[in-house]
Amino acid sequence: MINASEVLSSIQSAFPGAVLDSRVESDRRLWATIDSEKILDVCKHLSTKLNFDHYSGAAGVDWIARNEMEVVEIMASHGAHQVVAMLKVKTPRENPSVRSLTGLYWNANWYEREIWEMFGINFEGHPEQYPLLLSDELMGAWPWRKDYKGYPDLTTGERAIQITTPEGYMELHVPPTPAEVEAGTVVKERPKYPSFREREEKEIKSDAEMIMHLGPQHAMVPGPFLLDILVEGERVKKAFLDLGYIHKGIEKIMENRSWLQGITYTDRMCYVASLSNNECYCGAVEKILGLEVPLRAQYIRVILEELSRIQSHLIGTGEFLTLVAGVGYAPWQYMIMDREKIISLIESVTGARLTHTFVRFGGVRNDLPEGFAEQCRKVLPFMKSRTEEFIELFAQDPIYSLRMENIGSIAPDTAKRMGCSGRVLRAAGVAYDMRKEDPILVYPDLDFKVVTGTRGDSADRIDVTLREILESIHIIEQCLDKIPSGPIKTEAKIPKKVPAGEAYYRVEDPRGEMGMYVISDGGDKPYRVKVRGPFYATFQTLTPLLEGVYIADAVAIAGSMDGCPSEADR
Amino acid sequence: MLKRNMIKNFSWPLKTATREIEITRLYPEVMMELPAAERGIHELDATTCIGCASCARICPNSCIEMVHFKFGNPLKNKKMQFPQIDYGRCMFCGLCVDECPVECLTMGKKVTMAGWERKDIVKSPDFLATKRFSDKEVKDLEAEAKRIAAEKAAAKKAAAKDGAAKEGAAKKPTKEGASVAEKKKPEAKAKPEEGSAASETKKEESKAEPKEGGAS
Ligand code: SF4
Ligand code: SF4
Repeated sequence: MINASEVLSSIQSAFPGAVLDSRVESDRRLWATIDSEKILDVCKHLSTKLNFDHYSGAAGVDWIARNEMEVVEIMASHGAHQVVAMLKVKTPRENPSVRSLTGLYWNANWYEREIWEMFGINFEGHPEQYPLLLSDELMGAWPWRKDYKGYPDLTTGERAIQITTPEGYMELHVPPTPAEVEAGTVVKERPKYPSFREREEKEIKSDAEMIMHLGPQHAMVPGPFLLDILVEGERVKKAFLDLGYIHKGIEKIMENRSWLQGITYTDRMCYVASLSNNECYCGAVEKILGLEVPLRAQYIRVILEELSRIQSHLIGTGEFLTLVAGVGYAPWQYMIMDREKIISLIESVTGARLTHTFVRFGGVRNDLPEGFAEQCRKVLPFMKSRTEEFIELFAQDPIYSLRMENIGSIAPDTAKRMGCSGRVLRAAGVAYDMRKEDPILVYPDLDFKVVTGTRGDSADRIDVTLREILESIHIIEQCLDKIPSGPIKTEAKIPKKVPAGEAYYRVEDPRGEMGMYVISDGGDKPYRVKVRGPFYATFQTLTPLLEGVYIADAVAIAGSMDGCPSEADR
Repeated sequence: MLKRNMIKNFSWPLKTATREIEITRLYPEVMMELPAAERGIHELDATTCIGCASCARICPNSCIEMVHFKFGNPLKNKKMQFPQIDYGRCMFCGLCVDECPVECLTMGKKVTMAGWERKDIVKSPDFLATKRFSDKEVKDLEAEAKRIAAEKAAAKKAAAKDGAAKEGAAKKPTKEGASVAEKKKPEAKAKPEEGSAASETKKEESKAEPKEGGAS
């Protein structure tokens, strides 16, 4: 297995002069600034020669003081080695432009679109630079640049005026100042894109085809997103996806909040996985601070994150069943009933049912209450027998297997190429789990398997989910036996200002690989927080997956992915 | 075979339905049992709160406002400013509790707070305080605070005078102008301090204070 410094030397020898700056943080993290001319060649080299077949995402950073922007490409491998390469490409702040990686990695598409609409960095060679998360009127405002003042410019309060439209609505309007009119700077026509509607209507080729809307208000996934399908008869010919209905701009909000306050925002990205989100953010900050987490706190974190994984899987499975079978038949209520027990366990430690705000820099908020282990040992065997029952019921039900087998199946290679994560990837047979790939906390000391499927279809995804619950139960049982006594918070004082630095931290979210890229400039607030959400990655694969299936299956496939648009829409 | 399997899947719910299950239908007659760690409505110990406003600063939603409340501890909290929490915005994150330096703010098990109007869920320290002083105790403590403040002010005044005299003596051999400037400073400093100490306590006190200061 190669390590980070070997990767670096391989790039350096293949492309002399391409690496402008580099830092080997550990065996598993490589930071390098690459010449923007050579980035495509370097990535090609990485993917073909060094097994970097997992494009994990990209982050834009606006370095306003240095008058440049950066695109950070996050690259990893599906199990061949554990190196995560963070390749930075610089571009000037005026007319920023970098090469697009969409030709090499299919899934670079959304990440680059997001950077483009948020920072205004143009991606040369991107096939469809259309807005993804933002609404059309915000295009061109480049909201995540550091000099963005709000839309309209509400921070000054002077330029925005209220107009009452003929229909009686209030609208905010920013009139140009006379100086701006004279200089001709405001009349800049914003670039025109074909709207979502125009784009999908262009695809209608014959009278037999029509567009069907599934969403944004659809029971399909708990959260609004627009899924339009182009159908001919019962078959889906093409699917179109639009996000941004609940875009919260959490990454930007966190730039304006203190380090500690940021934890509360990570909760709200996806409430069923809030402990993993806490962990991811706190872990990244701990890495910058160089904090050691006491052993007991590490065990507490693992126990709670696994409990949270169980409850997330239960609600995910329950939701899926309401989609394929209707509420009457589906064991949704049984899943929720069982989940209630897990939630109560988590609540007895954290004090909250969903948004826990529990993990702290260098520790946890509360210790385990008295009798927690006994309570756990009572609930977990019950959960285990119950989950085994569920697995059996799913496996032997002929109607279910007729309905779900070979529906929406993904081959392992396709899944890797598309960059899916979590259960979708594992169901396809790729054993890729952050707890093994990028182990954190005490996971290396614990014994557990990475559950994989064989067919990669919807039934497999649910099977993998349920079997992961059993693994989680196994992990918690080990933790309860091993947990030492001791402090739950580090003794080191946590400064209000975090020293300048950057870190990329990955955890295994219930939905897959969750990564956070945190930059500090030495201030009391993060300079940039980039969230690489698991469902954002999986979501992108939904449209190609739907091509050619029946309309009724579209919902089942989307449901089996255990979606959380709230997290995709951060 | 097919039939038997299907029957099993239909009979399973019937089997489980007979087991004892938890239901939430009992609310509000019977409240759910909440754990000790529950993060519900805040509880304020007004006898120890020092009015530092740390809680108000850390709150991500800025829902804490420091307001006047009569029954706190004037010895510790001279301005008598205590947290008032707007539950319309509070998300029960508990950061304020963690941040409190004297641990007088905690979160209890009370979770219901419905109101007819928005202002009904803005809870003043009067509502939040689980521990407070009675009228009489507050009066006694105020008197105590007054006495301490007066003593302090007198001591400061004396110290300032001493310092000024000393400095003046020490600085004489050096340049005239510099020593005059130096001499003025401590006195100018002493006065506002007196004033602020007076205003920090109570109104009647502020009346008494200048007299005393003038006398001494
Ligand atoms: S619990 Fe959180 S939101 Fe509520 S007052 Fe405290 S800090 Fe603010
Ligand atoms: S409750 Fe605590 S943090 Fe808030 S003002 Fe009082 S002493 Fe300070």
